[in-house]
Amino acid sequence: MPRHIRRLLLVLIGLGLVAVAVRNLVVDRSFYEYGHYRGNAVAEIARDKPKFQGTAYCQSCHAAEYDTWAHGLHYSPDTARIVKCEVCHGPGGGRDPGQNYLHAATGPVHPGNLKLAVPADTTALCTVCHEQIVGRPAEQRQIVSGEHAGGQQCSLCHDAHAPLRFKGALAAAAAGGNPAAGQRKTAACAPCHGPTGVSAAGLIGPTLAGQNRAYLAAALAAYRSGARKNPIMLGVASVLSNSDIEDIAAFFASQKCAAGPGGAAQLAAARAAGAAMCASCHGANGVPTGAAWPSLLGQSTDYLQGALRSYAGGDRSHVVMSAIAKSLDDAGTAKVAAYYGGAACK
Amino acid sequence: MHPEFSAAPYIGYVYPNETVFPWGVLIVAYPYLTGLVAGAFTVSSLYQVFGLQRLRPVAHFALLTSLCCMIFVPTPLLLHLGHPERAFNAVFTPHWSSAMAMFGYFAGFYVLLLMVETWFVFRPYIVQQAQQRKDLLGRYYRLLSLGSYDLSEDALRVDRKWILALAIIGIPAAHGLHGYVGFLFGSLKSREWWSSDLMPVIFLFSAIISGVSLLTVLYVLSCKLRRIAVDVDCVKGLGYTVWGFLMFTLLLEGVEFGSLVYKGKEGIDMIMVFVTTRLVIPFFVLQIGVGAVTPILILSYMFWRGTAGRALVAGVTTSAALILLNVIMMRFNVVIGGQEISKTGVGLLSYPWVFLGREGVFAAASVLAAPMLLLLVMIRLLPPWHDPVNTPAH
Amino acid sequence: MDDETSADEVQAGRRAFLTCFGSALAGGAVAATATALLPGPARAAAGGAPSPAIPDYDWKQHQWAFGVDARKCIGCLRCVEACKAENEVALDAHHFRTWVERYVYVEGEDAPRIDSQADPVNIAASGSEQHYRFANRYQDQKVERAFFVPKLCNHCTHPACVQVCPTGATFKTDDGVVLIDHTYCIGCQYCVQACPYGARFFNVEKKVTEKCTWCYHRITKGLLPACVEVCPTGARIFGDRRDKQSPISRFLAENRVDVLKPETGNAPNVFYVGIDKDVR
Repeated sequence: MPRHIRRLLLVLIGLGLVAVAVRNLVVDRSFYEYGHYRGNAVAEIARDKPKFQGTAYCQSCHAAEYDTWAHGLHYSPDTARIVKCEVCHGPGGGRDPGQNYLHAATGPVHPGNLKLAVPADTTALCTVCHEQIVGRPAEQRQIVSGEHAGGQQCSLCHDAHAPLRFKGALAAAAAGGNPAAGQRKTAACAPCHGPTGVSAAGLIGPTLAGQNRAYLAAALAAYRSGARKNPIMLGVASVLSNSDIEDIAAFFASQKCAAGPGGAAQLAAARAAGAAMCASCHGANGVPTGAAWPSLLGQSTDYLQGALRSYAGGDRSHVVMSAIAKSLDDAGTAKVAAYYGGAACK
Repeated sequence: MHPEFSAAPYIGYVYPNETVFPWGVLIVAYPYLTGLVAGAFTVSSLYQVFGLQRLRPVAHFALLTSLCCMIFVPTPLLLHLGHPERAFNAVFTPHWSSAMAMFGYFAGFYVLLLMVETWFVFRPYIVQQAQQRKDLLGRYYRLLSLGSYDLSEDALRVDRKWILALAIIGIPAAHGLHGYVGFLFGSLKSREWWSSDLMPVIFLFSAIISGVSLLTVLYVLSCKLRRIAVDVDCVKGLGYTVWGFLMFTLLLEGVEFGSLVYKGKEGIDMIMVFVTTRLVIPFFVLQIGVGAVTPILILSYMFWRGTAGRALVAGVTTSAALILLNVIMMRFNVVIGGQEISKTGVGLLSYPWVFLGREGVFAAASVLAAPMLLLLVMIRLLPPWHDPVNTPAH
Repeated sequence: MDDETSADEVQAGRRAFLTCFGSALAGGAVAATATALLPGPARAAAGGAPSPAIPDYDWKQHQWAFGVDARKCIGCLRCVEACKAENEVALDAHHFRTWVERYVYVEGEDAPRIDSQADPVNIAASGSEQHYRFANRYQDQKVERAFFVPKLCNHCTHPACVQVCPTGATFKTDDGVVLIDHTYCIGCQYCVQACPYGARFFNVEKKVTEKCTWCYHRITKGLLPACVEVCPTGARIFGDRRDKQSPISRFLAENRVDVLKPETGNAPNVFYVGIDKDVR
């Protein structure tokens, strides 16, 4: 074999040996331990720290909120619908890279600086699950936020930890009362409001059927106390106990006063009548968009006009209604009252 | 926010992660380069193994071209890798079920083979230079000679045997290397545009035509630069070679495309939209029309009419340049086109052109230009034009 | 050595050869011998390798699987945001370990309209690429039916991504999870190409491939994956198939399930209920 061939082979063998040596030095000892990969990688990946901590972690400090939640609709294990703390509050044990959960006034880490991430904008947060959109299954509770609460924060009426536990007017609405017992106490009501609370032609009282229970109860209480001034109602209400009021309110609320079809055409009509601002709470057809507001169904034009004048004049007072009523001139008031005055019970 | 990726616009529905193309134009350059290697090596083997005397003027030049291209084959891959410093992981712990794990071994073996064959072919020149030169370059040649200046008839006979053996081994190695690149794409069941058993063969044939064409262009160019007469017979030989392979390539591509359409599997609707809109210019006009049909017509006409002399050289060179366009468009339409069809089967993406940066057009162009620069240096160190001392084995 | 006369040139060439290649050869030989004596890379023992060193966890006791009840998904995308927070996924609309698709069948159209939270319209609705919510589209159309489908890595029994990985940087663990070794991945993205489900993507910061791990760092500690933890409707189900009482075992026992793209032969381990032929 000529010398140059021998040397060529030596060079090639040398390169091969160097390659084998480097390979033996470089390859991780745990490679092939469980298969064709670095065995140590498995434990390394498993070592990462979890960021979402689970409800028990939150409960350890926020027992009261946890208790409210655990008795509310957001904890419904029977339907597997469990909205855990960290769904709305963000991961308890880690960074919040997108700042998706932070209240502007709280710190970025919890509980490192003992500040809880509280969602600031509940309309933005709650609608993530509860806005009505195409594709969402019917079982999911959904609202059209434009028609539900006039853009007000959900937390104004709902306790987010137990959303069917209401605050304010809604809390009263949810309180109760016995409609059957209430019916027996309505003898004094029927002459003016009709036996089922539907104010037929010629009756002087407004329609009570299907009216918001909390509104009815609050109205009776206001008449009794004199906060709302009406000589007939003062006489009737002064003999009622608190439970009477609840029962009567429950009875009339349970009676039917169905609305005509609502929808886009109705909304356009409301707008035309200058009642667009009313519609966001009272609905375009008089059916309220939320349980906090009274129904306008079946009310006479005269009654509505009187009510608006009372708000404007200060005989009745409500944070929203007083302002709206004052903003209307006589013609506007008449027009709006006429519009809703046409919404009779069906 | 990282500006390091560009998101692709799309129509229909694509998976959210698909909007970032995994592979860009660098991966177009990669199969193009390996193709040139395989093609150029084919020319050299046609002379060394099959004794095609016509190709003798370009035989050694082909070998050098092949080597220069091969040296740069890993560069597009290394530039593309997220961690190029870990590239050897694929060699140290090759995962044999992966088509890509083979690359390190295929490429390593092939580079060695090319180097050794080149060494044997140019050994007489190396030895001669080692003995004559006293300067720094002399040291280089002396090192290359491995300290043996044996040019006896016995030694040269052994060399010729080695060259023949290496050239024979080189044929399956070069074609295996490139067929494997085709398999890299063809074996992916996730992409309808790539998933084809014909892919390795198509890649192989298009590789051959690209290599032969490159050689034709470079050879004619070098003759002009060196102000010597072009060997018309050699160019005619190259022309015949590329003509035959080109027709076969076109046939294969037609069969593949036809069967894709004919089978009409799930997602064909989107592919047809793709083919009839976005692919019209790059595929039908540039790749098929300008790049394949035109050179076939030119070559067929010239061979039929028996064109000779300068006209033949001009015709073959023009055809070769068009074929180079054909092959790079074919690589582009495979690599980029495959990724433009969404895996959802109901969406199409548009490749977002990137010019600067590690994976941009300029990087890819540099990768393609680099072997040519290396070749300029190489032909000075190891002049392939020298009347070879070795004669073919038979 | 051949007995030929040694000319000066030959001597010089030999010196050059010996100094350059001789030392390399000798060094290589020494190194190869030395490293051969070291304990080589471990081979799986015949009796079965022990479990990796994860505290209080034996991977031989578990076989994880995932279920999706698309009928329950409300498209709230809490899973997507939780995943990004838990796994520090890039906060843009092009990198997701999990995502949610919406299929809307409009009356008179053959094919559904499909979008995900990454769709420009939905990104515009959320106002940022870091927050996700489905826009209230298709109000004006007459929609016959519509539903959401959560997607994630299928942790296939025969994963195409693992098959094509050249280095062994991605692998299937004994407890049924496909993982990526971020310290070993070379970033070639061949696996991104090979995955028929689009579950993988390139992490531009770490320059390696990334995908869902079923929160391996959580499930090995007895926790649920982050997306399952935050799903408010129970649309995502996770558990151990070895445990017959686990949520996933019950889910599989009580339902007829589908997998995505079964024709690829990947044999996914994410099981779907309530999807449709158009879901791929």
